[in-house]
Amino acid sequence: MADALVIRDLHVQFHTRRGVYKALNGVNLRLRRGEVLGIAGESGCGKTTMGLAVMALLPRNASFPQGQIIFDNKDLMNLPREYWERVGDRFNPKQNERILRRVSKAMGRIRGVRISMVFQEPMTSLNPVLSVGFQIAEAIYVHDPASLAHRVLARTRATASQMPELLAILGTARDDEAAVKEFAAKHDLLGIEDQVLSVWRRDDVHISRKEKAIRLLAGQQIRPVERNIVETVARAGSIPPRFSRVPVLSRVVRRVLLKEGYRKARELLTSLGIPHAERVLKMYPHELSGGMRQRVVIAIALVNNPEVIIMDEPTSAVDVTVQAQILELVKRIRTSVSAAFLVISHDLAVLAEVSDRIAIMYAGRIVEVAPTDKILRNPLHPYTQLLISAIPTLEGKPVEGIKGEVPDMRALPAGCAFHPRCPFAFEKCLEIIPIDLPHDRDQLVACWLYEAK
Amino acid sequence: MMIAAYGLSKFFPIRGALRSTISLKAVDDVGLKIQNEQVVGLVGESGSGKSTVGRCLIRLLNPTDGEILFDIPDSELVEYERARADVETKRVDAIADRFSLLRASSAELQSLRRLANIVFQDPYSSLNPRMRLADIISEPMLSTRFCSRAEAEIRSRELLREVGLPEFFEDRYPHELSGGQRQRVAIARAISTNPKLLILDEPTSALDVSVQAQILNLLRGLQEKHGISMLLITHNIAVVAYLAEYVYVMYAGKIMEWGEKQKVLRDPQHPYTKALMSSVPVIGETMTRTILRGDPPNLVNPPIACRFHPRCPVAFDVCGWTAEEVAEDLEYLLAGKYYGTFGDGVRVTTEGERTLTIQGTTDAQRIRELVGLENQEVRSLKSVQAIDVLDGATVLRLYEPVEPEMYPTPDGRQVKCLLFRPEVSAPAADS
Repeated sequence: MADALVIRDLHVQFHTRRGVYKALNGVNLRLRRGEVLGIAGESGCGKTTMGLAVMALLPRNASFPQGQIIFDNKDLMNLPREYWERVGDRFNPKQNERILRRVSKAMGRIRGVRISMVFQEPMTSLNPVLSVGFQIAEAIYVHDPASLAHRVLARTRATASQMPELLAILGTARDDEAAVKEFAAKHDLLGIEDQVLSVWRRDDVHISRKEKAIRLLAGQQIRPVERNIVETVARAGSIPPRFSRVPVLSRVVRRVLLKEGYRKARELLTSLGIPHAERVLKMYPHELSGGMRQRVVIAIALVNNPEVIIMDEPTSAVDVTVQAQILELVKRIRTSVSAAFLVISHDLAVLAEVSDRIAIMYAGRIVEVAPTDKILRNPLHPYTQLLISAIPTLEGKPVEGIKGEVPDMRALPAGCAFHPRCPFAFEKCLEIIPIDLPHDRDQLVACWLYEAK
Repeated sequence: MMIAAYGLSKFFPIRGALRSTISLKAVDDVGLKIQNEQVVGLVGESGSGKSTVGRCLIRLLNPTDGEILFDIPDSELVEYERARADVETKRVDAIADRFSLLRASSAELQSLRRLANIVFQDPYSSLNPRMRLADIISEPMLSTRFCSRAEAEIRSRELLREVGLPEFFEDRYPHELSGGQRQRVAIARAISTNPKLLILDEPTSALDVSVQAQILNLLRGLQEKHGISMLLITHNIAVVAYLAEYVYVMYAGKIMEWGEKQKVLRDPQHPYTKALMSSVPVIGETMTRTILRGDPPNLVNPPIACRFHPRCPVAFDVCGWTAEEVAEDLEYLLAGKYYGTFGDGVRVTTEGERTLTIQGTTDAQRIRELVGLENQEVRSLKSVQAIDVLDGATVLRLYEPVEPEMYPTPDGRQVKCLLFRPEVSAPAADS
C-alpha cells in the first residue's frame, strides 16, 4: 500500500531556560493511505508534539536537528536544516523564529487542505466570537476558494432540463458518485457533484423532497458583476491579487464565496448527522454542547477533503456517551472519505475501537507498532505489556502500576529510555538505544529482548 | 451507617433575564447511603451533579433541601426511616438533632471535619504551592485541633511513608512533584485526622493509566488497613469496578439506579445505565453499542418527569414528553421522510403542554399511520394518546406524564424508571 505520510528519524527539541528538552528522539512512522493509525502513550511522551511537528505548528523555541517528514514525495522539513544541525547551545530564538516562519509559510499550501488537524479541546480551537458556520466557510474560503467558485458557477450553468436527466441517472446508477461525476464532466457542470450527492445520500428525507431540492439547484441567478468575479476566481484557481487589493472587489468576492461556504458547511454538517444544521451554523461555540463542538471541529478538518487527518485526543474532553457518538462518527467518516487518519490518544481502549494499527510512544520514540488485534493480544515491548496491564477493567481485575516515573526529557537515560522502569532490562539496554526490530512482517518493536529472534 | 442522605437537593442561583433569579438544579432529590467501612461509587457524566453531591455530604456546600445523617447507629437509622415515612415530625427532629450534619453548630462541625475529608480531582490546584509538604499534610490536623504542632510534624512524616513517599519529601514543595506524587500527598492530607469517611472526587482523572493504577492500589490498601468508608466519585466506570462495592449512577442531578457493583455494571437495568455501560470502550471486546442521541440536558430547565426521556431509546407514553418535543420530531418527519405524503403546507403548532395541532391536513388516518410506523424509532410519538380532526386541522393529544420514583427490582437494587413501576403492567421493554 502506498504511504500517505512517512516520518523518518524525526527529532524535535525545545530550547528552554532550564536546558534542551528533547521531545522527540527519532520517531519512525509510516502512515498508509486510507488507514487509521492510533498513537498511544502517557502524557509527556511526545504524541502531540509529533502531530504539531507534521503541521509545522511548533512554538518558536523548537528546533528540528534531524529527520524528515515526507508527504507527497517532498520533505516538509527540508528547509534550513543546516542551521538547526549546528545550533546546539548557540540557539537564538529570533533567528529560529525567522526559520520557523519560512517553514510555516511553505506549509501554508498543505496545512488545512491536504493535512488537517483536530485539536484536543474543541472550546479553545474554535474562535468564540465567530459563528461556527463562518468558521467552516472560512476554512474553505482561505484554502480553496476556487472550489467554491466552481460550485456557484455550476448552479448558474445548470438548466432546469438537465436536472431531471440527472435524477434519472441517479435513480438507476449503482455507483451514484461516479454517475454524478460523469454527468457533471459531460455537461460542464463540475462543482455540482457534492451538492447533488449531499442531498441524494440523505436517508431521513423522502425521495420527492430530495428530487425537489436537486431540481432547485439548477438555474440560479447571479449578478453579472459577481459572475465575472467568480469566473475569474474559478479560472485562476485562487483569489487573484488584484481582487484582494481593491476593497470593493475583495468585499464582493468574500461575500459571494463565504455565502457559498455556508452552503457547503450545511451540507457537511448534515452529512455528519447534525439535525437542523442551518440552525447550528448560526450558533457560536459556547452555545453548543461538547459533542457538537467536536463535530464542528471535525467538519472543519474534513471540509477540504484532506489526504491526512491528525486527530489529537478527539474524545478526551467529552463524556463516555458522547465519546461513543464521536467514535461512531469517526468510523463512519473513514469509510466515506479516502483520507488516512492519525489518531492520538492516551486511552488504548479508544484506539482499539477505531484504529487499524497502533503505535506506542515512550519518551519521544515509537517503541512498538503493530495491527490493533496483535498489539493488544500479544504485546511485545515490556512497556506496552505494562501499559495494558495498568488499565482497570470492568471485572475489577487487579491492576499494576508501572514503577517509577516518566524520565526527565532534558536528561534522558542512556540506552533504552525505558530501562530504569523495565523489569527485563539487561546490560545492553543501559548502553545502546534499541533499533526497530521487525517481528512477523507487520510488527515493529524497539527492544533488545527480541534481537535474537 | 456512616452517612445517609435523604432528598438531598442543591440549586445554584443564576441570573436570568430581566434581573430575575433562576436556579440550576444541580442535584435534585438524591438519596444515598454509605455503610461503615464500605466503598460506594458514584458515577455519572460531567455536569450530572456527582461532585456537588460529594461536597454537600461533608458540607463544603450547604444543600438547598434534604437531610444528611452522619455516623448514626443502624437501629436509630431504622427508627428514623420509619418516623420519616409516618411523618412523625417530633421523632424525626429528635433523631436529626443528634445526627444531622445540617443542624451541627460550627463547633460541632469542626470536630466532624476530623471524621470526614475529601480528596480533590486536580492535584495541581488542590495543593498550595507556597507550603511545604509537611505543612500541607499538617494543616487539617492543626485546624481541627486534632493534635499539637509537634505531633503533627511527626505524623506528617509517618503519613508520607504510608502513602509511599520518602520521608525527606517533607521539606519539598508541590511543584517538585509529579502528578501521581501530588495525589499521594493529597491523600495523605485527607487521612491525616484518621477520618471515618473519605470523599474521593475524581481522584485519578488527571493521571496517566500507569500512575492511576498505583493510586488505586494505594487507596485499596488504605481502605483495607484503616477501614475507611469511601465515596468514590468518578466518570471512569473501570475505576469504580476496581474499588467499590456499591454503585450509584447519576444523570442530570438524579440518581438513576443503584445497587451492588456486579449487578449494576454487568447487568444494568435502567436504560441510561445500559447505554452508559455499552459506551465504555473495552479492549478486546466488540459489542453492539447503544448510541444515545443528543446531549445531557440543561439543568436550568430540565426535562419534566424522567430527565432521561429525551435521549432514552425505550421511552414510552408517560415518560414526560411535552408538546414541544413531539412537535419538533413531527415537523422533522413531515418535512423529510413523509414529504411525499403530505407535501408543503403542513405546519405544527403547540397549545400548552399536552396538545398540538397539525395545520394544513385533515387526514387523521395518515397521521395515525405515521405515528404507528415511526414510534419505535422516534420515541416521542409514543406519547400520542388521541388524534382527532378539529376545525380543518388535525389535533394530537398527549398522555399525562408520570414522575418516576425509585422502584426496587427483585434482585435487590433500585431503579428510577417507569419500566419498573410495580402496580402498572409496564409495556414490554422493546429494546
